[in-house]
Amino acid sequence: MSKQQPVLFSIGWNACINCGACVAICPQEAGFVSPFDTIAVDRPCDIACLLCEAICPVDTITHVPVLQQVAQPALATALRRTRSAPPTHPGEL
Amino acid sequence: MPPTDYDLIIIGAGPAGSTTARFAAEAGLRVLLVDKRQELGAPIQCSGAISGHGLAAAGIDADPEFIHEAIYGFAIYDQEGERTVHDYRLLKPDEYGAAEGKKPLGYVVDRRRFDRYLMTQAERAGAGVWLKTEGLGYQPTDDGHCTVSLRRYNQDLRLTTRVLVGADGLQSQVGRWAGLQTHIKITELAGCLQFIVDGVETEGLLEIVTGHEWAPGGYAWVFPKGHGYAEIGLGVIATMTDKPAQWHLDKFIRQSFFRRRFANSRVLEVQGGGVPLAAPLRTQYADNLILVGDAARHVNPITGGGLHTAVAGGKIAADFLIGHLGDGLPLQDGALRAYQTLWLEELGEKMWKLYGIKTDIFHNMNIQQRDRQLYATMSDYFSPTSEFKKI
Repeated sequence: MSKQQPVLFSIGWNACINCGACVAICPQEAGFVSPFDTIAVDRPCDIACLLCEAICPVDTITHVPVLQQVAQPALATALRRTRSAPPTHPGEL
Repeated sequence: MPPTDYDLIIIGAGPAGSTTARFAAEAGLRVLLVDKRQELGAPIQCSGAISGHGLAAAGIDADPEFIHEAIYGFAIYDQEGERTVHDYRLLKPDEYGAAEGKKPLGYVVDRRRFDRYLMTQAERAGAGVWLKTEGLGYQPTDDGHCTVSLRRYNQDLRLTTRVLVGADGLQSQVGRWAGLQTHIKITELAGCLQFIVDGVETEGLLEIVTGHEWAPGGYAWVFPKGHGYAEIGLGVIATMTDKPAQWHLDKFIRQSFFRRRFANSRVLEVQGGGVPLAAPLRTQYADNLILVGDAARHVNPITGGGLHTAVAGGKIAADFLIGHLGDGLPLQDGALRAYQTLWLEELGEKMWKLYGIKTDIFHNMNIQQRDRQLYATMSDYFSPTSEFKKI
């Protein structure tokens, strides 16, 4: 099930029931969430375990691989800087 | 020590957070209860069943404001539709029934109204209650307290408190801030979906349908929902099926032994969620921080029920904090372990035992044997002689 390559998730909002199961199963540290209480869709997931896709009761999470390995960390940093989200490290304010 | 803004800041105004807030505020603690939502209870991720005992033990009146329907017992089905019924109207007719002087065994509640009712109780007890307020992070400080970052209607705030209570549900971020091991295994989180329907008759019983054919890794249910409505749902374990819960629910409605009963059902609401069939968190505390409710995985691992355990755990947390803060005891370096010890004594050890029973069933790879075990265990669990009827 696990893939090495980072992925960018996409959620079919039409079917999403905001149940939160994807966030509950997600092994990422705090903050890998969207403003709609789903897993984040605005930045790559490096773990790519795809458990969120497996648990989704309505099967509405998909992903695309992030191909530009070199640019990806810079993209992630840029997104992290601009987004208004919880701190990356536990306990940090 | 310098004063803090609050004694307790509680993130998440579900049943666990609001119950903690209410008892703590009643005892005179300075409590702030926050929730990021605009409407509590929603989106609904729960079937809403709670025992009368569970409400009473947490000091909650069975108020018509939040009750959908009274429950008088259980019917547990095997895969083919054979059933075991524990109807307490027949088992203990002097005690349980709809007539005057008798009582229901339990209730199916409206989670929107139930959660709002409990928050109102907290507010009336003196807790500050802020909706549209999200927790962003926390930091223990050298003076023994902690700071909590919040965002309220887009405004960033930083408040000081003695203890932060994480009551932010199964998707808890608060536990992750503290670096607690909150990760749940895919084999122990059921993906659940339920429909509120019209046109399905019920008989005052919680109906539970076992069998790998209908709900691999979990079970299906039909609960009365008041006003002639019912809820039909199920939970599945992703590693035991390659189909989503939605597919299984559709199959259950169209193909199970209930297909004629469901033939005229019309869907009025769609709800879903992840339900842990797992052990409680091994560590539910950190410096200046404790977890309650789903965030601490205070959920019955056999039934997936979390309402009773949430309000019971909320009361335990409040009782502990009232004593601990009242005595001015330390809040860091493992001092809050005492909360977890108290919780284990009062509730947790039973949940660990249930987890053992559940694990034994699902470790059996023979599906037919496992189905028989689950049916027998569920049938026994809800019987009047069950040792677990208190949770």
